[in-house]
Amino acid sequence: MASIDIKSEITGTVWQVKAKPGDKVESGDTLIVIESMKMEIPVITEDAGTVTEIRVKAKDPVAEGQVVAVIEG
Amino acid sequence: MAHEALLKEYEARRAKALAGGGAEKYAKRKAAGMWNARERIDYLVDKDTFIESGLFGSSGVYAEQADETQTDGKLAGFGKIDGRDVCLVVNDFTVKGASTSATNSKKIAHMKRTATERGMPLVVIGESTGARLPDAMGSRGMGQLLGNDVTQFRRLRETPMCAAAIGPSFGSSTWLMCQADFAVMQKGAVVAVSSPRLVSMALGEKVSADDLGGWRLHAEVTGLVDQVVDREEEVFDAIKRFLSYMPSHHMEAPPDAPVPGGSGADMDKVFSVLPESRTQVYDMKRIIRALADKDTLFEIKPRFGKSAVVGLARLGGKSVGIVANNPLHRGGALDADACRKIVDFLVLCDSFNVPIVLLVDTPGFQIGTEAERAGAPGKIMNFMNAITLVTVPHLSVIIRKSYGRAYVCMGGGRHSDDIAAWPTAEVSFMSPEFATNIVHGVGVGEPGFEEALADIRKGADVWGLAAVYAAQAVLRPEHTRDYLIRMLDVFKLRITKGVGQHLMRSWPTSY
Repeated sequence: MASIDIKSEITGTVWQVKAKPGDKVESGDTLIVIESMKMEIPVITEDAGTVTEIRVKAKDPVAEGQVVAVIEG
Repeated sequence: MAHEALLKEYEARRAKALAGGGAEKYAKRKAAGMWNARERIDYLVDKDTFIESGLFGSSGVYAEQADETQTDGKLAGFGKIDGRDVCLVVNDFTVKGASTSATNSKKIAHMKRTATERGMPLVVIGESTGARLPDAMGSRGMGQLLGNDVTQFRRLRETPMCAAAIGPSFGSSTWLMCQADFAVMQKGAVVAVSSPRLVSMALGEKVSADDLGGWRLHAEVTGLVDQVVDREEEVFDAIKRFLSYMPSHHMEAPPDAPVPGGSGADMDKVFSVLPESRTQVYDMKRIIRALADKDTLFEIKPRFGKSAVVGLARLGGKSVGIVANNPLHRGGALDADACRKIVDFLVLCDSFNVPIVLLVDTPGFQIGTEAERAGAPGKIMNFMNAITLVTVPHLSVIIRKSYGRAYVCMGGGRHSDDIAAWPTAEVSFMSPEFATNIVHGVGVGEPGFEEALADIRKGADVWGLAAVYAAQAVLRPEHTRDYLIRMLDVFKLRITKGVGQHLMRSWPTSY
């Protein structure tokens, strides 16, 4: 078990938060959706685990590489 | 009697050599769930095909170490994988940590030379502590052991090279991972220039082996490793699978394989993968899996530069390299990592006569401060240069967006042998929303924006591209697989029997 940072791949604005702390997630699940370049771009976990933190809310600006969620997996 | 005594000595020496670092060390590894070097060879090669080279080797520096340096710590030899000959070097960690010294360097050199000159893949299985000390210490040690073979790290890609890292893999094991055409790592292995201990001594930096050179670093940040696996047998399965797509050497075409039943069965649904809203993304891998022969996609670097997908696959039983944008990540915008991943893969395919299929859906190259800091222009121009040097058949299919310089890099204009487009294709210098602002001077929500946007969008549709013959075909999506199989045959290299010009064979990858 390790703590895994989930980062936004892209600079943009949070459009939707789809996961909350305590949620069990699988590889490929979308945690957050970022609006960038006129597209809805998902923040996806590569690893399965349990969400421990969601660090952003709707309309927050995010930078490329910013940690937006943490999972324990 | 004299003959009998000689044979007795032979058997005794042989048994000792086969015992490597001794039964105790082997038992310890077994208890830890790790295979020993000979078990690795048994799993990797076809039954009874391994011929060892250098079984009776031992330290070439200290004759008195003969008993403790069986095989000098690296097993070498020839075997067959799926009936095809390969040259092997498999480290035996029980003998002085499989460290590199004089005799085992000769063994590696002989395997590499033979593989290169006689056209066989080279497979090196790493697990090592690095250079052997004190053998390489001092000016005499350096002069004797390092740099006397200029071909040691020369790569001209005459034959495919695979490398694996299992457990600690410092020194030569790390160098060879970086030079290989396919590098696979088991979770728990460490690929790094030096050990955490040396880092701590030299820099005072406390770092775990995993943070210094663990799988996550190489899969996600450095991109130096092509695949990561959980279990040891998967290391060898991955190598066998990689080689199945490759020719034995660069002067022949890759082998054909039977077309698995059920291939193409999902093509009638392939168009539904694409969302009707152009602001929504999808996973390009679903389209690749539908197009390729069933279950043949072998993805390379899946966690690195994820807005691009590259992988080996088969179409109609023929090896192909897939280069695709993946809108699921960054909307398909190509960043510096994605460019590097694609260039490395173009080098691989072109060097080993593997035709390429490019699947295009990208809003362009990633822009912004992060991209510029990562040296995006340099990476983009490397990509541009590489696509002009591809000499194997290469076909593009524009699925949706293809904008700006990325349009050309992904095969646009005459940078592919043939360009087909889906009716959803949209091609322009930049995304319509931004173009509307720049060309018409109106922003989102301002009067006249929607009309101007509609006009710009119409100008980006597929028919403009088809009208000026910049797309040679517009396809119903469900026909794409059959079209590609037919066009790979049309464009095959008849004159050279499938062999390309290998203009990138000396291209340094892994940077």
